[in-house]
Amino acid sequence: MVQSEIHNQISINRRAAILGTLGACLFGVLSSRLYYLQILKSEDYRALSDDNRFNFNITIPSRGRILDRHGKYLAINSQNYSLVLIPERVKDIESTLFKLKQTLSLSNSNITRIKKNINRQASFVPVLIKENLDWATFSKFNFQTPDFPGVIPQVGLGRFYPNNGLFSHTIGYVGTPSTKDIEYDKDPLLKQPSFKIGKTGIEDSADKLLRGRPGKLKVEVNASGRTVREFPVDTDAPVNGKDIWLTLDSELQKKAAELFGDDSGGIVVMDVLTGELRAMLSMPTFNGNLFVSGITQSEMDKLNNDERRPQYNKVLAGGYPPASTFKMVVMLAALEGGFIDPKDKVICSQKVNLGNRTFHCWKRGGHGPVNMREALKGSCDVYFYELSQKVGIEKIASMGRRLGFGEKFSIGLKGLKSGIMPDPKWKKLKLGNSWKVGDTINASIGQGFVLSTPLQMAVMVARIANGKDSLTPNLIIEPNLKKFQSLGINPSHIAFVQKCMLAVCEEPGGTAYKKYGLELGQLQIAGKTGTGQVRGISEQERRSKLRRDEDLPWKLRDHNVFVGYAPFKSPRFAVSCLVEHGGTGSKRAIEISRSILKTALERDGISNSKNIKSTITTNA
Amino acid sequence: MVFQIVKILKVLLLPMHNLFLDYTKTTSKLSDINWLLVLLVFLLGLSGVAMIFAATGGDWLGGAKQHFYRLIFATFFMLLIALIDLRFWYTISYPFYIVILMLLISVDIMGVTVNGSKRWIDLQIANYELARVQPSELMKLGIVLTLARFYHDLPRWRVSSVYGLLGAFVIIFVPMFLIMRQPDLGTALLVAATGASIVFLAGITWRLLASLSVFSFISITLFVVFGLKPYQRERILTFLDPSHDPSGASYHIIQSKIALGSGGFNGKGFMNGTQRQLEYVPENRTDFIFTVIGEEFGLVGSLLTIAIYIAIIGICLWLSAQCKKVYSKLLILGFIVTFSLYVFINLAMVMGLAPVVGVPLPLISYGGTVLLTVMTGFGLILSAYIHRETKLPSSKYKN
Repeated sequence: MVQSEIHNQISINRRAAILGTLGACLFGVLSSRLYYLQILKSEDYRALSDDNRFNFNITIPSRGRILDRHGKYLAINSQNYSLVLIPERVKDIESTLFKLKQTLSLSNSNITRIKKNINRQASFVPVLIKENLDWATFSKFNFQTPDFPGVIPQVGLGRFYPNNGLFSHTIGYVGTPSTKDIEYDKDPLLKQPSFKIGKTGIEDSADKLLRGRPGKLKVEVNASGRTVREFPVDTDAPVNGKDIWLTLDSELQKKAAELFGDDSGGIVVMDVLTGELRAMLSMPTFNGNLFVSGITQSEMDKLNNDERRPQYNKVLAGGYPPASTFKMVVMLAALEGGFIDPKDKVICSQKVNLGNRTFHCWKRGGHGPVNMREALKGSCDVYFYELSQKVGIEKIASMGRRLGFGEKFSIGLKGLKSGIMPDPKWKKLKLGNSWKVGDTINASIGQGFVLSTPLQMAVMVARIANGKDSLTPNLIIEPNLKKFQSLGINPSHIAFVQKCMLAVCEEPGGTAYKKYGLELGQLQIAGKTGTGQVRGISEQERRSKLRRDEDLPWKLRDHNVFVGYAPFKSPRFAVSCLVEHGGTGSKRAIEISRSILKTALERDGISNSKNIKSTITTNA
Repeated sequence: MVFQIVKILKVLLLPMHNLFLDYTKTTSKLSDINWLLVLLVFLLGLSGVAMIFAATGGDWLGGAKQHFYRLIFATFFMLLIALIDLRFWYTISYPFYIVILMLLISVDIMGVTVNGSKRWIDLQIANYELARVQPSELMKLGIVLTLARFYHDLPRWRVSSVYGLLGAFVIIFVPMFLIMRQPDLGTALLVAATGASIVFLAGITWRLLASLSVFSFISITLFVVFGLKPYQRERILTFLDPSHDPSGASYHIIQSKIALGSGGFNGKGFMNGTQRQLEYVPENRTDFIFTVIGEEFGLVGSLLTIAIYIAIIGICLWLSAQCKKVYSKLLILGFIVTFSLYVFINLAMVMGLAPVVGVPLPLISYGGTVLLTVMTGFGLILSAYIHRETKLPSSKYKN
């Protein structure tokens, strides 16, 4: 009995010892594993731990401003009052959203977007409820925060265009990057919430410059991605975008918009010495701020349904017949080729027959016998029909190109049109037909195939006014003045054409006659009118003599064109003005051009002095 | 017959007698308690408080406080159990087992479902939730008590007999089956392993042991292939190839290894563990608390912790050797096997040597039931040692 008990005891003790040894072995394994992890592999795991720990956040640079030549702001970063919601701090998202919807009158689509964002992001990432709040609403919410737990009023930087849309076509606007933008542009900034990139205009073409470089911020993050601590490093600070100074003068631009009123069209004021664009306006314009904050459908519809097409940049992308303003080109081509003596007269009896077609002069009863000077002054079409047949389209087209027609200028913007400076080669290529004499005749008065932009017309008149340099337009202020190529036209021919243009404006009988119409003392203006036909005029209408442009629907009325420069004796500014469907006679275009030239000269302080020098405001 | 009932009642009233009437004996019993063991156990519990405090980012209310109070309570509870006469434990061994079996069955029927498995029963007194009791946890005690008594009553020559084998098999398998149904694979295996260890200690012949091992190896393999729930198989698969699911289950293992490894030789310092601070290691105040020790105190702290565990186990082995009765010996060894299995499995899991099977690190991990179970176990160990001279009512040795 007792022996068995003892035996049993010994047996259990022995087996316990076996288990104990086994346990010791297991502890040995565990300890060596610890040695392996904590000593041998320690460095690796420490690195992994830091990988876990640190992340790089992107800090957003502030976007460069856009300023006019005098340093007035055209695009700035304004304080943007917005409301964000931090989902994890909101107890009941549904009811909070419902209350917000009522207080802020949010649309249903807004609510859907907010909900989508809430579901898509980590719960501590703020979701934008509404931006661009007015101060009253914003301060109200600052008081009401206890009623809306988790809803936080924030002040951020947003883009703002202060000039009421005066510069919208040129500056453009910013907007949220599209999926395509993000795919194409790998800049990490694009993926930042509420980051905006340039969509049109300078904002778009100079986006890289304005945008700046993102900074890096080393942050310690926890497992759920929340930032716990920040480690700012100076070298990783963001590089803010560069400011861009434009050659435009916002006062002049404003004046131009006032002059245009409700009319549709475009105007360009160009410095005849430097090529700087002092004003460039397409009318009507639109408010770029609408697009920054997300345009509503009704606002969009309003823009799209306006027959005057506010969003369309008529100055750079419009294609208009230069009409009679093209006559200077024909004159210069004729003079250069020596095809005619300017004193030779042509008899204008209102129509010219050519084969089975009849070409008309605009003036009822014709001009009678006119020489070159009189022909331009009175804008006689028949004279130029005859002249163009002598000169030939090749010479005319070549002179047109030298004066800027058909050329796409590089002014730092996208979307410029080259227009059409037609010649036989062009017609063969585009239309497959051979060139007809009738085409030349149409081209001689800037109709037919000839299409140009208001900018090209401005360049043309600026080059004539300058007489020496082949000016190109300039929109962004550069530290150094551009050097231009020589125009290469005989100065005496230029002088002759200039005198003819003076006659148009300052001599009785000129199509734009008004003695000292500039209203700046003795300063004179030289220029040329044009009436761009929008439609063909039927024989019947001509005969009825009852046709008056004012009786036609707006869409069918003629375009109004005027190009000119002032002062005549020492040219300073060139202007080209187009009033869409402004009616025959170019009255509107002339009025606008005169006033804008007057304002431009006054603003430059040279209205009563002949001492003209370049007044360039450089990037200060 | 009447005499029998009176005898049983007398035994059942022993705790009352021990605690309230028999003062002189109690003081001598107190001096007989192995205070080193108590101290080491309490020390581990305190380090648990500190680690939970660190794991919750210095939040005293995040569990550390509760662990502390539970530790104090459980320590007194342990001493109380230690003072109660061994005959009492001997007598209630079977009834206790049967009660827990019934609880397990009732869990199966009306238990609270937490994380997709039914493991809990709410114990309420006047609507105040005392505890959520996991009967499976109590079964870890029950299996030891029952098997100890079973082998104590069984003559040694019958251990390897059909009766002995069948009895042990039923005692182990029924609760194991019920726990597996919850499903709680970890606890089921722990119960089975504890039972198997006791069978081994009781003196099953080596030949039988070998054939049983082969048999169980085959049946476990078959079970893994056919009998596991998908998530359980997933755990084993990710253990075998941790890169196969980087942010799922093996995320635990990878992050826990990073925490340990980045601790290096002497650690990042108390409250300075970045993995811990930044919540990269999930469950780090419960099952993965060893990562906090490893990260903040390095190899030094980890080995020191392991050393204390080894000391506790060693002391208990020594205590069992001091006892002469089979019941006492198997009781002590059974509990220390359970305790060691907890420690091994948890550490191996944290170090990436075993699959993630929710087994806490005893005494240190946050969690009331486990703490109480383990401390009760130590109470019973102490009781068995203190009462090593007490005669048990029915030691019947036959040859």
